[in-house]
Amino acid sequence: MKLFQTYRVLAFIVGVLLAFCSFVALPLRYLPTQGSNLQQLGETLSLLWIAHGWVFMAYVVVTFLLSRKLRWSIVFTLLNLAAGLIPLLIFWMEHQVNLKVRAEHPELVTPSAV
Amino acid sequence: MSSKLAPRYWGAHLLALVLVAAAVALGLWQYGAWQAHRDAQAADLTSAEPLPLDRVLGPDDPFPGDRVGQPVTVSGTWVPDGTVYVSGRERDGVEGYWVVTPLAVGGPDAPALPVVRGWVAHPDDAPAPPTGTTALRAWLQPPEGTGQADDDPSDDVLPQLRIADIIQHVDQDLYGAYGVAEEPERGLDAASLEQLPDVGALTSIRNLLYAIEWWFFGAFAVFIWWRWVTETPEKEREEDSGDVPVG
Repeated sequence: MKLFQTYRVLAFIVGVLLAFCSFVALPLRYLPTQGSNLQQLGETLSLLWIAHGWVFMAYVVVTFLLSRKLRWSIVFTLLNLAAGLIPLLIFWMEHQVNLKVRAEHPELVTPSAV
Repeated sequence: MSSKLAPRYWGAHLLALVLVAAAVALGLWQYGAWQAHRDAQAADLTSAEPLPLDRVLGPDDPFPGDRVGQPVTVSGTWVPDGTVYVSGRERDGVEGYWVVTPLAVGGPDAPALPVVRGWVAHPDDAPAPPTGTTALRAWLQPPEGTGQADDDPSDDVLPQLRIADIIQHVDQDLYGAYGVAEEPERGLDAASLEQLPDVGALTSIRNLLYAIEWWFFGAFAVFIWWRWVTETPEKEREEDSGDVPVG
């Protein structure tokens, strides 16, 4: 199903952007001496937070639609949405979703005849 | 739908209300920051009536955001040893320097306001910094702070007019602002606010992008709340038990 694939791609992008912003851009922006080249780089890289925010918006919509389609519980849905804001959590959540979909909706993951 | 008005659901309604209010407020805050940026760039106070410096800001005050370019009158004692040259100032197509000397407002050891005395093509061309007391009119500016690095902190040339850099060159406190003298000193060309380097457009558009994001999440919270309110009870029961068997 398209929605599930879209969810996986978006989860990956959000996860990578969030991890990069929190573990590279953020320390670079605040730890080195104010005005040094390294700190400037952190300042520039911090613009990726905007990208994270906008991809996250798409992620929220797609995840919500998927959760309605697959009848996830409210808690599981909210956990998935929040995972886009907590560094690294989204990779584990995406794995959980993958397992869940395979268990409950195997027809979604069996590759269609190509 | 009336069942959703039962007291046990009030918490959920309240949560939705809080989330939406928070998203709207955060969006307005970011939008305000974006507007303030634009207003500060657009407002032109440079031809306003000059005010005494102490009416606009004190030595320890943060820069008042609506006073960019305000003409002020200031009198005090020059601190010639604190003279620095700020690079990257273009005048009639020529890259040059601002000549900046702090002016101690009041006694010689009082907090000082860095004053742009004029423009030179090269620091070697600048006349010797003035000494003694003076009274002058200047346009007030917030300190620059794009974070550009000073390649060589040991000389008197700075890439931007930053208080944290100038304070290394003087013994007293500095105001959180600087002035651009309306009349250049003899031997110097006039400095003007047009010689300020361009501010990156991204810094302020970022606030607008964040504002849109926050409002989007607010609208999304409303959407989820509406879906939840209008859901039929049967469907809800189904969903509540939806993922129990999996564990």
